[in-house]
Amino acid sequence: MEQIKLTAALIIAILLQWTLRNVAEPFAYVDFPLIIVVYAALQRNSLRAILFGTFSGLAIDALSGGLLGANGFSKTLVAYIVSEIARRVYMDNLLLRIPVIAGACFLDDALYYGLHRVLGQEPSGQFLVVASYTLFATTIVGTAVFVFLDSFMNEKLASRKREGFPSRRQTRRRNPIRLGK
Amino acid sequence: MVERSQQEVWKLTPWLVILLLLGNFILMAFDAREITSGQRVIRVWTQTVADFVQSPVTTITAGVTNYFGSIANLRNAQDENSQLKQRVEELELELQSKEGLTSENDRLKALLELKEQSKYKVLTARIIGRDPSIWFDSSIINRGSLDGVKLNMPVVASGGLVGRVTAVSPLTSQVDLVTRDKSGLGAVIGEIGSSTALGVVTGTSKREVLEMKYVAGTTDVQVGQSVFTTGQDGIYPPGIKVGDIVQIISGSATTPHQIFIQPAARLGSMQEVGVLLYEPPPKVAFDQKVTPPTKGNK
Repeated sequence: MEQIKLTAALIIAILLQWTLRNVAEPFAYVDFPLIIVVYAALQRNSLRAILFGTFSGLAIDALSGGLLGANGFSKTLVAYIVSEIARRVYMDNLLLRIPVIAGACFLDDALYYGLHRVLGQEPSGQFLVVASYTLFATTIVGTAVFVFLDSFMNEKLASRKREGFPSRRQTRRRNPIRLGK
Repeated sequence: MVERSQQEVWKLTPWLVILLLLGNFILMAFDAREITSGQRVIRVWTQTVADFVQSPVTTITAGVTNYFGSIANLRNAQDENSQLKQRVEELELELQSKEGLTSENDRLKALLELKEQSKYKVLTARIIGRDPSIWFDSSIINRGSLDGVKLNMPVVASGGLVGRVTAVSPLTSQVDLVTRDKSGLGAVIGEIGSSTALGVVTGTSKREVLEMKYVAGTTDVQVGQSVFTTGQDGIYPPGIKVGDIVQIISGSATTPHQIFIQPAARLGSMQEVGVLLYEPPPKVAFDQKVTPPTKGNK
């Protein structure tokens, strides 16, 4: 069930990315598919996250004037790195996830820009300016989306809450007096 | 379904990542090589699918925007009404004097047997999507190969040149703007035939600025002059306005001018464009141009 919900979320994110820039220019600074890819990577399912990264990246590239495969490359690599970090570090706290979204966004932009430069293309805009706006917008929207997705995926949230606040183990202590008997 | 253990998945993941990265890199390399001429099947089919989402969203958005725009406009309607009434009276007087000029013009045209005709067929199109990546500025229009659009056809908007078609699907097409760094077109400052200030206009990757190169430093060029296409690039027809000169870094006898142009079309806020159904004359191969010397021609 969780897999279906996440896949639906990814498809909605791709559709939003395709359409929202024509509605209002500032929406272009939010990377919706990346938010879902990072969320999937934080669920510690590397395979799913990587496939999400490639699929969403190619879907964006296909409608973009940039190189076909550039977003696919950067999002796949970001998904892998985030999932590897999530496997090693406990990151189920929302506050810990915010820098992860920001870092993933910056890495994605840097890879995308760098790949184009390496292959002789010149993306428009200054890298630091555009990357800063994207980082800011994606982190804010991403945090809100994470909260929404956490509450949407009820089963996962419940188990996480149990992990976050574990009930105190009440082991019955043996009576040392009885031992002596 | 074979259930894989977590350990197996972790071992498999790096290989899958390498495979996917390699696949993406190969796609990129091919795309970079043929970015000016080729088009990919993935692009064509994704655009076709995206059209079913982008077209309705654009229609709804335009409807909502127009509705709220008309409400906002009502506020100023009364003031505008009185101003317009005054303007109408002025224009009526102007019209009366122009009617005389128009009839004179018609008579002279008939005398010269000139026929008014449009040079190229124009297919109007609506912009249904913009580049989903912030790093590029291409647009998606709601006309495709079924409407007669072909690769590299020029696109214009009110005012001037917009760019060219770089990918065509049955229902939609992708348009790359002239501001893109890889775009280039033959251009002339002033009217073709009367000006010798020829050069190449290229994109600068900055929105709303183009650069004109290779104009001889000794040529007299001024800010505010208009720049038109020459048709020598084999893509754009001659005589389309590209923009107006906004800045000149003067050259010398040995160095060319560096000229910056503001595009004539409003590239940032276009809603509708026109696709010129223009196909350039076929290129003649070099060996066909030069007739080999024959014994009799010696």
